[in-house]
Amino acid sequence: MIPYAEVMSTETQDEADDLRERVGNFLMRNFPQIQMHGGDAAIRDLDPETGEVTIRLTGACSGCGISPMTIQAIKSRMTKEIPEITEVYADTGMPGDGGPSHTAGGRGGSVETSFPGPGAEEGEDDEGPEAPF
Amino acid sequence: MSDFDPGKFEDKYEHYFAELQQAYKGAFDRMDRQYDSELIHAIDQHVLAESEPFYEENEGFRIELPDDPSARIDDALADADRFETVLATYVDELEAELRRVFDVDSDPE
Repeated sequence: MIPYAEVMSTETQDEADDLRERVGNFLMRNFPQIQMHGGDAAIRDLDPETGEVTIRLTGACSGCGISPMTIQAIKSRMTKEIPEITEVYADTGMPGDGGPSHTAGGRGGSVETSFPGPGAEEGEDDEGPEAPF
Repeated sequence: MSDFDPGKFEDKYEHYFAELQQAYKGAFDRMDRQYDSELIHAIDQHVLAESEPFYEENEGFRIELPDDPSARIDDALADADRFETVLATYVDELEAELRRVFDVDSDPE
């Protein structure tokens, strides 16, 4: 017999894994341009209880002029499409980054999930305004 | 593009994501060439990352900035006057890029 607490813990973990997968799928489905532009997006932190998620934009995305709008787009659309997500923070990994769109870690318990897209060959389309279009 | 639909701009990140990318990239590249790159990157990451573009029939495109944008930038990058000037120029460039990308008149009636 499985103890009740253990069942609950397993269910909670399953829900967290499911939410993480849905967030990852959301990013891949809606923002392939991130990878096409030579960047990458990863779930840096996800707290299923509070609904807070921190997305890290790296590579070309971290300082290409597109990331501010991309951050806003992710925030706007993710909270609409995944009701469990209440707050989206973005970490662009910029040196000295300490602004409001950067959220320090510390919530713990997270494993960075990276999802390079199928068209993310390195060295291609890594710069220039025409890259994502 | 000539078929800009102001109604769709309400859901801009869904309908016009690629066009917005193009506009932001164009404005960033121009500003990065003309001004201190470190300051432009800082504005890009810490101010524009918390901004949002809107379109209104009588006003055209406008960029809504976060409160107190100067507090988001390291003082060492620029003094207050310099920061305000560069930020205003950046916003003007961005609005101009949006008008260009969406082929919208610069002075809507």
